[in-house]
Amino acid sequence: MKNSIKVERAKKNITQADLAALAKVSRQTINAMELGKYVPSTVLSLRLAQIFEVEVSQIFTLEETDWD
Amino acid sequence: MKLNYLFPNKYKKIGWLLFIPSAIIGLATLIFEFEPNSLDFNVPAIFIDEFFGDKHFMGIVNNNILNEILAVLIILSSLLVAFSKEETEDEYISKIRLESLVWAVYLNYAILLISFLFIFDMSFLWVMILNMFTILLFFMIRFNCQISKLKKSTRYEK
Repeated sequence: MKNSIKVERAKKNITQADLAALAKVSRQTINAMELGKYVPSTVLSLRLAQIFEVEVSQIFTLEETDWD
Repeated sequence: MKLNYLFPNKYKKIGWLLFIPSAIIGLATLIFEFEPNSLDFNVPAIFIDEFFGDKHFMGIVNNNILNEILAVLIILSSLLVAFSKEETEDEYISKIRLESLVWAVYLNYAILLISFLFIFDMSFLWVMILNMFTILLFFMIRFNCQISKLKKSTRYEK
């Protein structure tokens, strides 16, 4: 799964640490998501969408390999 | 997400403070077979199988309680270290916790299988004693390594 967390973060001009505090997770989690190492839960995805003021589907997009 | 099967974060430090000395002392008493007479007590037992006697349930046996004290301390403290929350316990940390636990169980039983096949008689007693504690120990090592690796990898990122 691809995500545009880094892009959204740049738009809002906030650091990983800022976003971590807003989403109430650790900075490591934000970093792992941006690197595609971790797929967040639905709750965290919705939190991120609310923070960035966009729809969840605007942040996360399915890839071919997600159907395997 | 609320996790109610973990201890608060402060117990992790308490766990380490208890675990390290009791593990060192425990290992030392095991190797040197240290059993001070002052700790010989008559204690209640659920099952008794005497060397030259019969087997029966419920009774009193004379026993050196030093190893009991140390084993209880080691088990309780390693539970605290293993299952206390991280400073920011979130879903990614939970995932790493679970993966580390599976990894520790695999490793523990791999070692136990090899020991079953290649270690015999009284030597196997050592395996059984150590194996009581190794699952949690392997988990603690794995989990803390993973967490510190994670922290290192994000230290310089903006």
